Formats: sequence, C-alpha cells, structure tokens
Amino acid sequence: MGHAVLVVDDDASVVNTVRRILEMHDITVETVESGDGCIQKLREGFKGVVLVDIVMPGMDGWDTIQAAVDGGFNQHVIFIMLTGKEVPDAKMDYLKEYVLDYITKPFDAKKLASVVKEYLAYLE
Amino acid sequence: MPNTLADNPNIVIIGSSAGGPRILKSLFTGMPFLNGCILVVQHMPKFVNESLCAMLDGCTDMTVRLAEDGDKLEQGHVYLAPSEIHLELENNRTIRLHKGEKVNFVCPSVDITMKSAKKTPGALLIGIILTGMGKDGAQGVRYLKEIDGITMAQDEKTSVIFSMPREAAQTGAVDFILTPDEIREKLVELLGVVTPVNI
Repeated sequence: MGHAVLVVDDDASVVNTVRRILEMHDITVETVESGDGCIQKLREGFKGVVLVDIVMPGMDGWDTIQAAVDGGFNQHVIFIMLTGKEVPDAKMDYLKEYVLDYITKPFDAKKLASVVKEYLAYLE
Repeated sequence: MPNTLADNPNIVIIGSSAGGPRILKSLFTGMPFLNGCILVVQHMPKFVNESLCAMLDGCTDMTVRLAEDGDKLEQGHVYLAPSEIHLELENNRTIRLHKGEKVNFVCPSVDITMKSAKKTPGALLIGIILTGMGKDGAQGVRYLKEIDGITMAQDEKTSVIFSMPREAAQTGAVDFILTPDEIREKLVELLGVVTPVNI
C-alpha cells in the first residue's frame, strides 16, 4: 500500500500497541504524541489514515483536526478517532464531514487492522 | 435502454455519518436488485466520494454511482450524494444538486434530501438513519412519517455512534430500529426484488 498510518496519541503504550498490530499487516506506521506533532507531519505532506486520540495535552483531537482543516492539510487524509471516550463530545458536530470513523479503546486488534485497511484502500 | 421508472418510484433515503462507510458496506453487501432506488447521504470529505461509490458498487446487484444534477431516477440504482452540495428531489423523479449553507453543520444534509421528497400515491418512501454524530436526519424522518413514509434507524449495538439514530428515534417517528442486516431484509420485504430489464 502506498499510504501510511499516523498515530496521534500521548500514551506510549497505545502507540506501541497500534504500531505492532498494524505493522504485522505490513502497514507503514508513523507516530506523534501531540496535536502539534500531527499538524507538523501533515504540513510536511503526510497522506493516509490518521488515528487521533481525543484527550491529549495541548490541542485535543478535535482542535487538531480543525487546525488541519483550517490549514488545508486534510486533502487525502482520512481522520479516525481512536479514543477511550465512548461517547463523543459536541465538538465533533463541527467536524462530521472530516471524521470518517470512531474506534473506542480497548479495541480488538483484528478489527482495528481491518478498519484501517479498509480506509487505506479508499486512498489508493 | 435504462430502467427509468415509468410509474411513481419507490424511494429509499439513507443518511449516515461517522462510521457510515463500513455500516453502508455491511448494509449493501448482498443487497439484491430492488424495485426502487436508493439515495445515500454520507457525511464525508470530497476525495472519498468515488472510492466509496466503487466500494459499494462492488457489494450489491444494484448500480451505485455518484449523483449528478439532472439525473433521472432509475430502478435498481443507488445515488450517492456528492460532498459539499445539497441533494434534493424534484417531483420524486429528478435529482437536483445545489450549493447552500450547511444544515446541522453539514453539506449535504440528510434533512434537506428527506424533506424534498413528496408523498406519491402507490409508491413507498422510506427513510433510514444510520450511525453518526448529531441530529441530521431527525427532522427528515419526522417529515417522511408525516407524509406516510416508512422510517428506520440503526440499533445502538451495531452503531459506531448512536447519536443520529437516537435523535431520529426520539422524534417518535421511527417505525423500526434494526441492525444493518435487518434493514437490508426489511427493504427486500417492503420493496421486492426485480430482474433488471437490460440484462
């Protein structure tokens, strides 16, 4: 596959778990631990699926996506929330056109890989 | 010769948002050629439009395509609303796309499409709300119920986010709360399956 996955999460254990799961499926994984890091990656031209945590120090997941949209960095970038929040907060209302899916932790490894592969295929 | 509908067409309008692509895939997998047409309003970025169309087209006997302004509804066709433009029905026969303000924070809006449908004697109007955040589609299903339509919402267990189906159900205008598999079965039961005339 030509596109990669960017994991945006301040929890190193989640990042490492997701990386291990996806790399087992030959998916290239990049990671950052903050919204600012995500925006920097997008600014550098990252294209692919971005798995975004909601609760992070500094910019939360929603503000990160809003910043990506405002900066025009969201072309050929599919945002999926990967979060412990079972129910999204109202901030999502403004971003419905940009967030294609929502996965809650703890997640099933096979299902995560399957969902990510499905969305990567949309970018081929 | 296209299967352009001679009589009032049976019309299904489906609204979905976050988690919608994989729920739509589940719903359309194994969907036979129905006696009617389906409009799908999925909130999504524009660059996903063609990929989602292609994916769904590979799942069903029906023909899935991106809606264009002026399209005449054809039996057995599924029309996906393109991003960044509202989709309305003109006399339940013709698709009209028009630029407009966001409604419920989105464009296209499920409410706009559902509210453009008209009561048509002898034809079924069906509104379905699938997974997603917010309340888009709630007023639409209420309207469809008022004009004797049939309404459905996805169940909580299979919804990625239950907000949109719940908002629809809370209007009191939803007839059935079902899983995607059950929705497909209900559509087959209500509309019936036909053989395409041009095959």
